[in-house]
Amino acid sequence: MITYVLRRLLLMIPVAFLVTVGVFALVRLSPADPALAFAGEERDPAMLAAIRKDMGLDQPIPVQYVAWLTHVVQGDLGRSFQTKQRVVEAIFERIPATLELGAAALLISVTLAVSVGIVSAIKRNSVVDLAASGVTLAGVSFPNFFLGILLILLFAYVIPGHIFPPGGYVPITQDLGDNLRRLVLPAVTLATASLAVNLRQVRSSLLDVFGHDYMRTARAKGLRERTVISRHALKNALIPVVTLIGIQIGAIIEGAFITETIFLWPGIGRLAVTAIPSGDYPVVQGVVLVSAFSFMLTTLFVDVLYAWIDPRISYGNATG
Amino acid sequence: MRSARYLVALLGSFAVLLAACTGGQTPAGGGTTASPAAGKPVAGGTITFALEADVSNLDPMLSSLFVDRNIHYAMYDSLVRVTPKGEIIPWLADKWTYGDEGKSVTFNLRKDVKFHDGTTFDAESVKWNIERYKTGPLSARTGDLGSVDTVTVVDASTVKFNLKSAFAPLLGALVDRAGMMVSKAVQTAMGADFTLKPFKAGTGPFILTEAVKSDHYTLEKNPNWWGTDAAGNKLPYLDKIVVRPILDPDVALTNLRTGNAQVINRVTGKDVPVVQADTTLTYQQVGSFSWDSLIPNETPGFVFSEKRYVKAVAMALDREELNKNGPAQGVGLAGWGPISPAHFAYDPNFKPWPKADPEGAKKLVTEVGKGPLKFELLIVSGSPPALQYAQLLQSQLAKADITADIKTQLFNDIVTLQQQKKHTGMTNIGWSGRLDPDGNAYDFVVTGKPNNDSGYSNAKVDELMNQQRAESDPAKRKTLLQQAQQIFVVDDPSRVWLSFGVSPLATVKSLVGLEPYPDRIPRFQTGWLQK
Amino acid sequence: MSGATVPMALGVPRSDRVGAIAYFARRNPRMILGGALVLVWLFLAVFAPWVAPYDPIKVNVTDALLPPSRTHLVGTDDLGRDVLSRIIWGSRVSLSVGLISVSIGFFVGVSIGLAAGYLGGTFDLLVMRVIDALLAFPALVLAIAITAALGPQIQNAMIAIGIVAIPAYARLTRGQVLAVRAREFIVAARTIGSSPLRIVLRHIFPNVLNALIVQATLSTAFAILAEAALSFLGLGPQPPYPSWGQDVAYSQRYLANLKWWMSVGPGVAIFTAVFAFNFLGDALRDALDPRLRRSA
Repeated sequence: MITYVLRRLLLMIPVAFLVTVGVFALVRLSPADPALAFAGEERDPAMLAAIRKDMGLDQPIPVQYVAWLTHVVQGDLGRSFQTKQRVVEAIFERIPATLELGAAALLISVTLAVSVGIVSAIKRNSVVDLAASGVTLAGVSFPNFFLGILLILLFAYVIPGHIFPPGGYVPITQDLGDNLRRLVLPAVTLATASLAVNLRQVRSSLLDVFGHDYMRTARAKGLRERTVISRHALKNALIPVVTLIGIQIGAIIEGAFITETIFLWPGIGRLAVTAIPSGDYPVVQGVVLVSAFSFMLTTLFVDVLYAWIDPRISYGNATG
Repeated sequence: MRSARYLVALLGSFAVLLAACTGGQTPAGGGTTASPAAGKPVAGGTITFALEADVSNLDPMLSSLFVDRNIHYAMYDSLVRVTPKGEIIPWLADKWTYGDEGKSVTFNLRKDVKFHDGTTFDAESVKWNIERYKTGPLSARTGDLGSVDTVTVVDASTVKFNLKSAFAPLLGALVDRAGMMVSKAVQTAMGADFTLKPFKAGTGPFILTEAVKSDHYTLEKNPNWWGTDAAGNKLPYLDKIVVRPILDPDVALTNLRTGNAQVINRVTGKDVPVVQADTTLTYQQVGSFSWDSLIPNETPGFVFSEKRYVKAVAMALDREELNKNGPAQGVGLAGWGPISPAHFAYDPNFKPWPKADPEGAKKLVTEVGKGPLKFELLIVSGSPPALQYAQLLQSQLAKADITADIKTQLFNDIVTLQQQKKHTGMTNIGWSGRLDPDGNAYDFVVTGKPNNDSGYSNAKVDELMNQQRAESDPAKRKTLLQQAQQIFVVDDPSRVWLSFGVSPLATVKSLVGLEPYPDRIPRFQTGWLQK
Repeated sequence: MSGATVPMALGVPRSDRVGAIAYFARRNPRMILGGALVLVWLFLAVFAPWVAPYDPIKVNVTDALLPPSRTHLVGTDDLGRDVLSRIIWGSRVSLSVGLISVSIGFFVGVSIGLAAGYLGGTFDLLVMRVIDALLAFPALVLAIAITAALGPQIQNAMIAIGIVAIPAYARLTRGQVLAVRAREFIVAARTIGSSPLRIVLRHIFPNVLNALIVQATLSTAFAILAEAALSFLGLGPQPPYPSWGQDVAYSQRYLANLKWWMSVGPGVAIFTAVFAFNFLGDALRDALDPRLRRSA
């Protein structure tokens, strides 16, 4: 087990290196001059030259990369061109909002997927099952942002009483009620995309388990159906749900970019999306790097957890 | 202001000019006499100001964004200031005199001024500040003070600026960040952190006491400020101002309407009727210094090196319709040049093409004789208002058989292309505006200047623009500027100006005494809360 | 991606594949529905100039913001353009981005997978680390970052979505190659001196084709969705040519005024197109790839 974890960690090193090269290169591909982004409306040539020198833009690209990487390793992602704030600080400030939204979405999605998934697996072809497969089919294909817009249209404008606001954020510390009211629409939007995938996964893994020998044995022993499902089927079927939660992290980071933009939710996704047009590279680089690394680490964590829960997995042959 | 959002704000808010200022005698604290209906000012109270973006530099030396100035004006004093009508008034400097045929300016300073940290403001402070702005690392003020050669201390309350050559727009620059006075003791003590936390660094009506990045900034009353109102009462009235960056215009407006904020200075075109109809709010607006334009690339090898094409585009556009059916939704002002109604040099009769003239445009294109005119119109991506505006432009040009292919690019890519003179057709970028008309025109039309993104060069324009810089008589300057404008807009066009912006100011009803300024920055020292 | 253009396969003869699909389609209405919807959108895209009732880009401000009516079935936008016509023309952008980016992902990914699996060794190790690095990014975040860096243009969106699709094909192909490489017929082909390229193309490639066809159909759905999302963020194709995602974003500011048709029209278009490819992909998976067939 330990060797497996170590092996996975070792394999991550070259990948992590390539990720940093990728993130750095992406930004340098852009034709825009970072000094202009830094300088705002001022255009004095002497000042622009001083800025370029200060940013190290007169150095060869590999030198710039090494300098950048050295800082990144020390936890320094540079300063925003626009707000001059340290990028690490800007990201930390916005992470609570992103985490709140992500956690709410995860909660909605997993709870619904597990409960509905169980019912639809047990009562195949029932109304619930058919409705669930409908949701699954529609959910995977429904554009996240379009759902968000429909929800805004309905709940903020069409339905009398304007149940939920069209967007915006209030910190929990300031007003819990208002915070939750504003959380509902974006969380539902973000949850729906993954709900479809989760539902399908729970249902099919349950059906898979139903077909196994030990289930038949348990039934043959004369155990009641309820006991069979709760004690044997569910336990085995929920293993893939762990993986699901892992997969969600990617979906949540992705969703954060779109959902936060629609609902004006001040998380890291919106931070990056607003930084793109103004050429605020340190911010874009920082957010992309942080999302890649958190995605990598959670994937690893889930793989390890999965291997630990499910004894059928052999660590020896597992490769990245 | 340098963002796509700026463009949105600019497009979305144009001016019906309200004569917001009543004129009359100007008290030492700035502003005009409070309207009688508001009653007698009372001191005290805290207000929240919802700012459109987070500030980036509170150090006037490093600041290059509009938002910063909203806090600067409360915490720092500058050598001179300006009335809402654009007249320069005494501030830290009591009076000033020109010498050596305009090549020097001597300022007599107030003697009763102390920085918030307790140190004294005097001629040495001015010398130190100006020299820091001129030579400090990454200073963004080098352009503003380019005309200043040296600063000499005559005595403790007299300081002399020796100029490289006579430069009339200098006073306009000293109104803003280049003339703001910072405590040397605080700046030296804080070092690199100074720009984020310049506590007690100014002499202004309010003291910066708290700065929590992207959350809030606290400005507390300076009880020892030197300014007074018309009745001789000490200013400011308010105890505290909390500045909160709220990026989304809808959210900011909601905060104002629910009482979570008392002032906003950004209201988009579509929201103006809403705010005006709300009886709990006061809405004021005044024409601003800002303009919007189409920037051709006139360097050789590009389509618009043929100036008749530039003129054809300028003729084909119906500016009133752009204003009415575009994102401004009728709240706006058509414009033909860079000198705005808020400038002393404005000419209300300067309307070279009061109506669209598609036939005239067609004739010009035929005259060139190279077939139909077709060009790329580059606009910022991700901004629906900018896109709507561009598509209106496109449809108007089509009536003159001119084809504009709209292409979107990231804001910063466009700015880079312009700087390198690599845009192939035209771009649509605005300017936040400057107090002196020179700041709205000179760098855009004089050969080789930093903002001359069209690559324009006209010897006569260069000559007139340099002449007006040296001219200290405003009336003569006005004539020179208007002569130049006729050339760089009509006779030999440098770009296509479209419109002027508006500066809105929306407050809750109980907050009175604030006036809108063309630069959009609230001057809080005259504001007070009705009980 | 119909079976007709597929080269001869050793594992599954062509007639068998077509037969399997045909047999399955008869018993599986999902495939008929998905396939039919795909065909409808393809038809609209190809024949847009004849099908669309109005010019999708002509500005006509006097007809701005009209609600749906008999003359404008899905209403008009703020510049007086017919929303239905914009939807029909928009299918060209969505489908071409979908097909082209999937082709990029397909060819690059499959080549990498074949080469890595067949050659093995250091090459395999290095290339698969690059693939891992691509997988380290959440897919849409990577597409956004690439498009933002290259500039918001349709070609760049295609490239970005194509790059994002590469790992799936590469891994799928490599896995299959590793699985069949040791099988007798490959070993036999090697011993009789067949060239590596020939072995790969004739014997290995056909074995993974079924899985690839399924993957291609499903990733077309993803590509359409991703293009819409990029356009929504202002990183999509150039205006004024209609793009669904862009039109949804463009209309968002009119929601408060209840001009819902401007958003709902293109939104429904994205949904049906993505749905069509997903549906078809699922059905194809069940038909072509029995190992993946779930107990349904």
